[in-house]
Amino acid sequence: ELRLSHQWSDNDVRHKVAQMVADEVAAADVDLDIKIFGNQSLFKAREQYTPLSRGQLDMTVLPLSYAGGQQPAYNLTLMPGLVKNHDHAARLTSSPFMDELEKIMAEDDVMVLVHGYLAGGFAGKDGCATTPEQLKGKQTRAAGKAFEQMLAGAGASIASMASSEIYNAMQTGVLDAANTSSSSFVSYRIYEQVACYTPPGDYALWFMYQPLLMNKTTFEGLTQEQKDALMAASEKAQAFYLEEAKKEDGDSREVFKNAGVQIDEMTEETFKEWQAIAKETSYKDFVASTPDGQKLLDMALAVE
Amino acid sequence: MDPLLLGGLVALATVIVLFSGVSVAIGLLIVSAGFLLVFDGARSLQLMPEILFADLNNFTLLSIPMFIIMGASIASTRAGADLYEALERWLTRVPGGLVISNLGACALFAAMSGSSPATCAAIGKMGIPEMRKRGYPDGVASGSIAAGGTLGILIPPSVTMIVYGIATETSIGRLFLAGVMPGLLLVALFMAWSIFATWRSGDGKVLAYTPYSWKQKVEILPRVLPFLVIILGVLYAMYGGIATPSETAAIGALLCLLVAVAIYKLWSPKALWTVLRDSTKESVMILFIIAAAGVFSYMLSSLFITQSVAAWIADLEVNRWVLMAIINVFLLVAGFFLPPVAVILMAAPILMPIITASGFDPIWFAVILTINLEIGLITPPVGLNLYVINGIAPDIKLKTILWGSMPYVLCMVLAIVILCIFPGIATWLPSAVMGQGL
Amino acid sequence: MAGQTPGTHHARTGGNPFLRAVAGISTVSGWIAAAMIVAAVAITCQMIFIRFVLNGSTIWQTEAVVYLMIAATLIGLPYVQHLRGHVNVDLVPMALPMGARRALAFLTMAAGIAIVAVMLWYAWEFWHFAYVRGWKSDTVWGVALWKPYLALPVGLALLLLQLIADLVALVLRHDTPFGLDAT
Ligand code: NA
Ligand code: NA
Repeated sequence: ELRLSHQWSDNDVRHKVAQMVADEVAAADVDLDIKIFGNQSLFKAREQYTPLSRGQLDMTVLPLSYAGGQQPAYNLTLMPGLVKNHDHAARLTSSPFMDELEKIMAEDDVMVLVHGYLAGGFAGKDGCATTPEQLKGKQTRAAGKAFEQMLAGAGASIASMASSEIYNAMQTGVLDAANTSSSSFVSYRIYEQVACYTPPGDYALWFMYQPLLMNKTTFEGLTQEQKDALMAASEKAQAFYLEEAKKEDGDSREVFKNAGVQIDEMTEETFKEWQAIAKETSYKDFVASTPDGQKLLDMALAVE
Repeated sequence: MDPLLLGGLVALATVIVLFSGVSVAIGLLIVSAGFLLVFDGARSLQLMPEILFADLNNFTLLSIPMFIIMGASIASTRAGADLYEALERWLTRVPGGLVISNLGACALFAAMSGSSPATCAAIGKMGIPEMRKRGYPDGVASGSIAAGGTLGILIPPSVTMIVYGIATETSIGRLFLAGVMPGLLLVALFMAWSIFATWRSGDGKVLAYTPYSWKQKVEILPRVLPFLVIILGVLYAMYGGIATPSETAAIGALLCLLVAVAIYKLWSPKALWTVLRDSTKESVMILFIIAAAGVFSYMLSSLFITQSVAAWIADLEVNRWVLMAIINVFLLVAGFFLPPVAVILMAAPILMPIITASGFDPIWFAVILTINLEIGLITPPVGLNLYVINGIAPDIKLKTILWGSMPYVLCMVLAIVILCIFPGIATWLPSAVMGQGL
Repeated sequence: MAGQTPGTHHARTGGNPFLRAVAGISTVSGWIAAAMIVAAVAITCQMIFIRFVLNGSTIWQTEAVVYLMIAATLIGLPYVQHLRGHVNVDLVPMALPMGARRALAFLTMAAGIAIVAVMLWYAWEFWHFAYVRGWKSDTVWGVALWKPYLALPVGLALLLLQLIADLVALVLRHDTPFGLDAT
């Protein structure tokens, strides 16, 4: 029996990915049972990587950047401007850059079963929050350290809080703008509080790598049949994950539009503008604080 | 082993361990460690400190000591006495004005304090001796304050609402607002019973009014001002866009400390240390239970007990109101033995999926849960407010306090029934202020 | 029937030097915990000021406040134990005759000491792990995690010390079982 922990509810795509792997493996009839503990019922969201790497937990679906404090290289998996859209993200997951990351994971006895990126956007309370100019001087909540650095570089003020607090903070005026994932924008009903939404489209800044991970030693202890079943299930789940990720962005766009929120698109020009700021802020800090940082960054940027 | 059977074993072991007299937090750790070791192996035992840390690693928890400091600093001054005196001078023509004033003062104080024992102590210190002096029966004097004190966790701010909000990811701002009208409903019920009980005790002149001149009425008003400043300041910070509810607690704590020092001259280091010591003591006690309950619920979840019990209850196929009644009895019994925070943390993961699946509003349920836990505060064996009263008025027999409190327990049960019939009493205000939303 | 005893009841030392030393250490821990809570209030107010009045960025405050609260809780444990502030259900001990009550007190104290000792061991191991691997928090502030994690072994060690002192006080009959007076 394997134990899989994650932080999401049953209708979240990341739960569905985990469930799919569990179901497929069960159907393969190889005497392998995956028990899913969702909703942080076993470990808190940010406390899953350590038990995974120590073999106290077998599997998890996790934003890898949560462990960026343990392996600074992981910070590249939530870095503004590295991923343009979902197809680009899919190419990134099968690139030499990802091979490098997997080597680092292997040092912690961790391996990837299912690759996947989810995207997110920006929303502004009184107006659009798309360009650096628009975010200047705004109290902004950003998801992730690198985004906070980039936004601060653009002159925004950073307020840190959980995504569950965005709604109230927007309503009372503590926040002017927020950045989070498409699904959080919808599930926390942020559309009731904002005037303008910048969903991920042809261009988006915010992509977060959220793979299904497994403890490597545990995996190696399985029989060949079990390994094969697990890998086959994972491959199927990965295709599903990509489709659902795209769909989520589209859904968030629809929901906000139907709620009467203005939809603003991120253009290539704005994307480049942000990337230029990121180069001076988040990229710079990443390279300075990560062994082989420049090499890894170049490898990621090299993916067409 | 079947998880349901295992769950029964855990329940039995928990009751035995907690009744052995060990402190609640350490008892929870002992039970968790025992079951993890036997059914999950040493690897889970190894995780206990990590889980302990993770459960405290939450910004929202910060508001617990802050709201406790608010209550403790004001409670250490004569502000509580000022409050009920002012109310009494103005309510003098109302029969039973003094007990009414004390209950009103409890409600107002509850709007500044997040914890119940603090509310109880603040008003009771002067209120109980005064009521007894004027001939109110001991049971009414002590019972009304014990019950009035429980309002501390229903009328916002509230430590238990914060814990509920964290455990269920519900908006704390909404939860706070949901407690306001049920709180007022309870105050009204408490007042009604107090007047009736006093009248029944046959000493009619207690209910007659003491005359106060207009001069006396006006001159006490400035002494109530600090309360209004604090309450309005906190409300403005919370709903006016200055800070999130958890941050607001710090503003409240600072305001209360400042008021206590500047207006009530609480500036001797010894007096300040007493405030800090009491706040630290209560906060650490609650936070340790929170952390230990986190380890306990890890154990329940790891052994698949939480999930199995929730699925079992969901499959019961009983009428949703029968289900609600069962849940209430369960909460009531748990509340008899455990402090409110521990009950919430252990019950929330099991109950939440059931509550939402049967179509109950989690915000409304928070109020029902809180009133249940208020009952636990004035019932043995662990009734924190009873001990506070016992400390304030040692010459009233614990038995008298207990019997005096019983009718107020019935008031709370009545309030739960009323809330089940008219859920809008809890849900209307949060919707009106913050929109339908989450 | 007592539960959390109000007032200023606390562990009795009977003038024993070891017990007095531990009482002293626990009291200092209490001061440190209280100071940390006050610091958390101050930092939170500073954060609100920066954000609301100056419209500035607040990077490190929430994290610092959380770590202070965790440390205050853990470091405060021995003090609250010393003050007998950890709530318990002592219906059964009260109902027991003195001999049985004493035996039960030994049993619960030994169990408490055992669990805290086990947790202390793993807490130390966890802290050491974070220290050797150089873990940092995944925020802009990026604190070295061994610093906040240090509160775990330190707090548990201090609690263990106070629990042992309580057991010694019981053995030497300086304190009564469960702090209850003979009835
Ligand atoms: Na309150
Ligand atoms: Na009780």
